[in-house]
Amino acid sequence: MSTSTIPDTGTSPDTRPAPGAFRGAVAAEWTKLFSVRTTRWTAMAALLLMAASAGQLAIYAANANTNDDPADDPGIVTAGSVVVSAVELTQYAVLALGLLAITAEFTSGTIRTTLQCTPARGRVLLAKAVVAGAVTFVLGLLLGGVGALVARPVLGRWGSAPMASTIGDILAVATYLALVSVLALGLGAALRSAVLTLTVLFATLMIVPLSLQEPDIAVLNRIADVFPGVAGGHFLAGDVEPYPGAVGLLLLAGWAGAALLLGRAVLRRRDA
Amino acid sequence: MITLRGLTKRFGATVAVDSLTVDVAPGRVTGFLGPNGAGKSTTMRMILGLDRPTAGQALVGGRAYRELRRPLHEVGALLDARAIHPARSGRAHLLAMARSNGIPGRRVDEVLDTVGLDGRAAAKPGRTLSLGMGQRLGIAGALLGDPPVLMFDEPVNGLDPDGVRWVRQLMRSLADQGRTVFVSSHLMSEMQLTADQLVVIGRGRLLADAPIDDVIAGSAVAVRVRSPHADGLATLAARLTAAGATVEPAGADELTVTGSTVDRVGDLAYELGVRLHELSPHGASLEQAFMELTADSVEYAGGPTGSGAR
Repeated sequence: MSTSTIPDTGTSPDTRPAPGAFRGAVAAEWTKLFSVRTTRWTAMAALLLMAASAGQLAIYAANANTNDDPADDPGIVTAGSVVVSAVELTQYAVLALGLLAITAEFTSGTIRTTLQCTPARGRVLLAKAVVAGAVTFVLGLLLGGVGALVARPVLGRWGSAPMASTIGDILAVATYLALVSVLALGLGAALRSAVLTLTVLFATLMIVPLSLQEPDIAVLNRIADVFPGVAGGHFLAGDVEPYPGAVGLLLLAGWAGAALLLGRAVLRRRDA
Repeated sequence: MITLRGLTKRFGATVAVDSLTVDVAPGRVTGFLGPNGAGKSTTMRMILGLDRPTAGQALVGGRAYRELRRPLHEVGALLDARAIHPARSGRAHLLAMARSNGIPGRRVDEVLDTVGLDGRAAAKPGRTLSLGMGQRLGIAGALLGDPPVLMFDEPVNGLDPDGVRWVRQLMRSLADQGRTVFVSSHLMSEMQLTADQLVVIGRGRLLADAPIDDVIAGSAVAVRVRSPHADGLATLAARLTAAGATVEPAGADELTVTGSTVDRVGDLAYELGVRLHELSPHGASLEQAFMELTADSVEYAGGPTGSGAR
């Protein structure tokens, strides 16, 4: 394996510092993620959802330009903006990656094996976040590319796909999905049940902010703007109001980080 | 070396483990015995840092498990043979464990070989593994890091007789290599064949911590008497009771006598002219010693002797 001068006999207590503990935890999570078929199915489902959703939204945009009602004409639409809209639905397939990385461990009881291998709760969760985040990011790039490829031809003469802005949108989508996946992971560690976590996620990403925005009262709108889904939406859209897109990104990252901290606290306190 | 100091676990009002203080020494097989629900698994989970003790501490090699950075090199444990992802192969399960502790992949094949799981069995998804195969996989996981301390929770559950014999030999050889081997069971007969030292608990409390021979020697020897003559048997029982022995009917034509000897019961039967079909010493088994020790602490009493997990 290496030319290390320290023979790894294993029988003597491991007294030397092990800087590889985190790397090992990441390698283990990687192995676990790619040794179950669920991962492949999740990616396939997300790709199908993205293709269908981007195609449908592109048809809507083209139709709106060609129908009899001039009031709803969006004009020329970028493929990137279609991809961004399609993410609203697609994300629920993608966040399964982060969600299942932890809730499947509670369902099958393997969490005890995992904590036996890596007793530091924070290290386990961080390793999972790195793997789920990285894999989701790459999947997000793929999804963005597929979405743009589907949307552009469907939009026809009502569409455009300037290289720089499309790439920017795809990168933003991948970043958004990676953070939502980590948010799902942290919540899953705290709540343990996949169904419960999905319900809470659905509420936080969509239901609650939508309800808050419904009456269109300034105060409620401001509160809704802080929610992760809305913040992520402002980031994806590159808004300047109510805050710049970068603030939206920071807010979403803050939610993901807070969920991880919550998950770690629960993992530390509760019996496995 | 496993060190328990006043280890206590409460779940609400229930005391699952009640201030256990025990040293599990290397170089021998220590049996961890108790009726179902006695707190064996909870104790083992606390040793592994999975459950938080309410009070006291559990140390492995002088350190708390949660402080270990590469714990598989120090403690190997089989807790729950069913704990494998339904879609993940046994081999991938072990590979993930190995990678987490920087153990090379070839070690996975070594331990699979040691526990007798061939490539085909190791490639099957978790949901298709029988309990016996799960036990073997769990034992393979415990051996991965070649650790000086090993813990097995009910390792022979679900194994066929061959497998049971193999587990016994494995424990013996691990202890002979100087390792600490701590193995729980609710099967007394199994412990009698495997263990050198016994830690017996009931309702979470320590009942005995002694060499197995001492535990067996400490139990009373009973005499079994069988006779076709019910009247004669009744007379015999009355005389024995009068002489200070304890007599319990064990069926229509049978008595179990404690506090006497085979010779004295035989003499008395001859004297009374009672025809005997059986007169035998009974017990001095771990089973009996165990029954006596835990008589007051069985959580689920009654019915035919129950079996099953925890």
